[in-house]
Amino acid sequence: MQPASSLPLGQPRSAGSPSFVRAGFLGGNEFGLIVLIVVFATLFTLATKGFASPFNLFTLGRTMGIDILIGFSMMVVIVSGGLNLAVGAIGVCAVMAAGWAMETFGLPWPLGLAVCLLVGAALGAVNGEAIVRSGVHSFIITLATMSIFFGGMVFLSRAEAFRELPPAIAAFGKLRLMGFLSPLLLVAVATALVLGWLYRFTSLGRRMLAAGASPKAAEVSGIRVDRTIVGCHILSGVLAALAGAMLTARHGAAIPSMAGHLGQDWLLPAFLAPVLGGTLLTGGKVSVLGTLLGAMLVSMLTNGLLLLRVGEFWVQAFLGLLLLTAVLLDLGRRRLLARHRIAV
Amino acid sequence: MSEVVLQARAIGKSFPGVRALDKVDLTLAKGSIHALLGENGAGKSTLIKLLTGVHRLEEGELLLDGKSVQFDDPHAAIAAGIGVVHQERNLIPRFSVAENIMLERLGPSVLSRVDQATLRAEAKRWLDLLELDVNPATPVMRLSAAKMQLVEIAKALSLRSRVLLMDEPTASLTPHETEHLFTLLQRLKRDGVTIVFVSHKLEEVLQICDSVTVLRDGRNACQSQPMTGMGRQDLVRLMIGRAEQIPAWETRDRTTAPVALQLDKVSTSLGHQDIDLTLHRGEILGLYGLVGAGRSELAKCLIGLFPLTGGKVTIDGQPAAIGSVAEALNRFGLGYVSEDRKQEGLVLAHSVLDNAGIAVWSKLAGFLGFLKNGQIRERVLPAIERLEVKTPSLAQQVGLLSGGNQQKVSVAKWLAAGVRILIIDEPSVGIDIKTKAYLHELIRALADDGTSVLLITSDMPEMITLADRIAVMDGYRLTGTLVNDRDYPRMSQGIMNLIHGEEQDAA
Repeated sequence: MQPASSLPLGQPRSAGSPSFVRAGFLGGNEFGLIVLIVVFATLFTLATKGFASPFNLFTLGRTMGIDILIGFSMMVVIVSGGLNLAVGAIGVCAVMAAGWAMETFGLPWPLGLAVCLLVGAALGAVNGEAIVRSGVHSFIITLATMSIFFGGMVFLSRAEAFRELPPAIAAFGKLRLMGFLSPLLLVAVATALVLGWLYRFTSLGRRMLAAGASPKAAEVSGIRVDRTIVGCHILSGVLAALAGAMLTARHGAAIPSMAGHLGQDWLLPAFLAPVLGGTLLTGGKVSVLGTLLGAMLVSMLTNGLLLLRVGEFWVQAFLGLLLLTAVLLDLGRRRLLARHRIAV
Repeated sequence: MSEVVLQARAIGKSFPGVRALDKVDLTLAKGSIHALLGENGAGKSTLIKLLTGVHRLEEGELLLDGKSVQFDDPHAAIAAGIGVVHQERNLIPRFSVAENIMLERLGPSVLSRVDQATLRAEAKRWLDLLELDVNPATPVMRLSAAKMQLVEIAKALSLRSRVLLMDEPTASLTPHETEHLFTLLQRLKRDGVTIVFVSHKLEEVLQICDSVTVLRDGRNACQSQPMTGMGRQDLVRLMIGRAEQIPAWETRDRTTAPVALQLDKVSTSLGHQDIDLTLHRGEILGLYGLVGAGRSELAKCLIGLFPLTGGKVTIDGQPAAIGSVAEALNRFGLGYVSEDRKQEGLVLAHSVLDNAGIAVWSKLAGFLGFLKNGQIRERVLPAIERLEVKTPSLAQQVGLLSGGNQQKVSVAKWLAAGVRILIIDEPSVGIDIKTKAYLHELIRALADDGTSVLLITSDMPEMITLADRIAVMDGYRLTGTLVNDRDYPRMSQGIMNLIHGEEQDAA
């Protein structure tokens, strides 16, 4: 008997278990975030004066743009199953290096931006290589490099800001489109499109997801997991540097303390956005739109609460609470879906 | 029939869209070994979960010593004397054997000091009962798979289990260890313990069980029948509703075909010595050996996961120094279907399309790594269709498919990538008989089409069904190669001799 001839060609999509249905958009994080954003926006508009004013929308958009980038810089390593505590340090180091280059050599801003992104990539590569070669968890490595990068930067710059930057940078930060829209928000949206394209349509993005979801299986399937993880960290460094550049545009100067001590001010927004957005902390699942919406929600809440004259510290406490609630809610949602055998 | 200890009457269980169990009966006699059989998806796991309190009983009745009982959670079942040894290990690797056995009883209160000496003494009692020679202070992670299994049994017994459910207990054991386990089970049985034995290995079931319950599609195909007078064919007929077909395929000889893969005195960092192996184009070369003989390890060295330390590997006449799986795949067309589907074979959380396409991404990627789902689908669909993967859609998460379909996806991945040499490791672990027969035809068809297959399996009938030649391995060395003439008794004897001969040499 020739076995080949006896192989029936099936209809792979017809048969199978009908017991699972997909949750779809309405059951996803993204939809929940949109609802929350609409609810809070309405609330703040009604409860405060000035929330919906063109100027507030402009400053809010600027903050959103930066927070979104910070969220992305963390998201791209969370995808690989790791994390990067050094995002803030990398962001500040990158802009300080660019600030120095622009002041010293009189580089125009496009070259300054290039220096900034390159330094971000290089520092990310250092993180990635250290993690891959040592086999130590990214938590420890990036905790160490956070201090090293930041300390090195403070030493080299003597903690002095670079304020004599090309005027185009500050002008970009002040630019208002149609009276209320900051171009920084557009930069963030453009970045989101690029990242969405990366994960959906490119081999590299797919590899990052596979390496994060199951490093062993990915390795045995011919993916170079090590290189992929280094790639994730380089990307994280570039995005952190871009976030730093946007922050510099807002301040009109490169300031060592603009992300707090050791760049720690960035950590809460960095984790909040991806987690709210439904990116799995264990790696392998990503939602670019979710991170974008998560960051928008966080910036909007901060802005609205400050307009309501809630103290800065309460806002921080509130954001921490939000992170916990988000995680718990997501857990509950998953259980509910699992109980009804709905695949996410 | 002797005294009944546990009885299930007309048990049913539904999940949305699925009737998992329908009016299932089960009667367990005191001091007996009872086989619970069925294909994958027949309802065995669901039944076990109902008996052990993992699922709540909603339809039917459970009688323990004639009295109706209801287990709300696993603790209630354990308290009633129903213990279970799961297929996957439930031990804490860094804890000692004693701590693992006594995990629920480390001290009178949560704050009392853990008295290691008492724990060890108590654990020793149960280890002695099993004649298990391990130091109770040893961390579990230093034990072999077989010993971990026995530690789990000791743990279940120490919880005073009168009924012990064992799910595929021999899956990771060597024949020798299996024999030891069986002696132990016989002794437990004499002491009045009732054992429920779930296994795919029918020879073992016939050897050790007193009675049998077979499930098919969530119903009883037979209920608590005595095993006397039953044969392998009877069990298979009950499980799949027809007798097992032994395929009467022709023997194949590919030794005149060009050599696809040649190993010349290869030694590896994992401990292989002097391995000589020749795989021809379109040939199925079996690699037989007991668990721990070093077969999967050899495969992993060949695909570049671990370095070679000596010898020469030649692929299609070219010397091949393979440094990574990516290189094995892209430069030499060599792929590996892992025995460990869930860890190494598939990304369970991702879709069928992503899993089947993972090995072709690098080939299809265009400008800036751009991939078109349409292109991937084009490459993957023929493989998916050829393997008859049953999935609602290509977007379905692979983890939600049945074991057999998962295995098909992990083979489809390499077919889509167009490998010329495929190493297949334990293709039918945890797969039902129908799917298994189908996979066999498929592997044969692949070889007929010119793919060279290195087949690793511990399943003797599978080996004799598929292989053209059989190389036997023991202790990380090759002990000989046989030409498969498809005569089961003769081949199995020859293989056993090759394994046995080496053992005598070593002794």
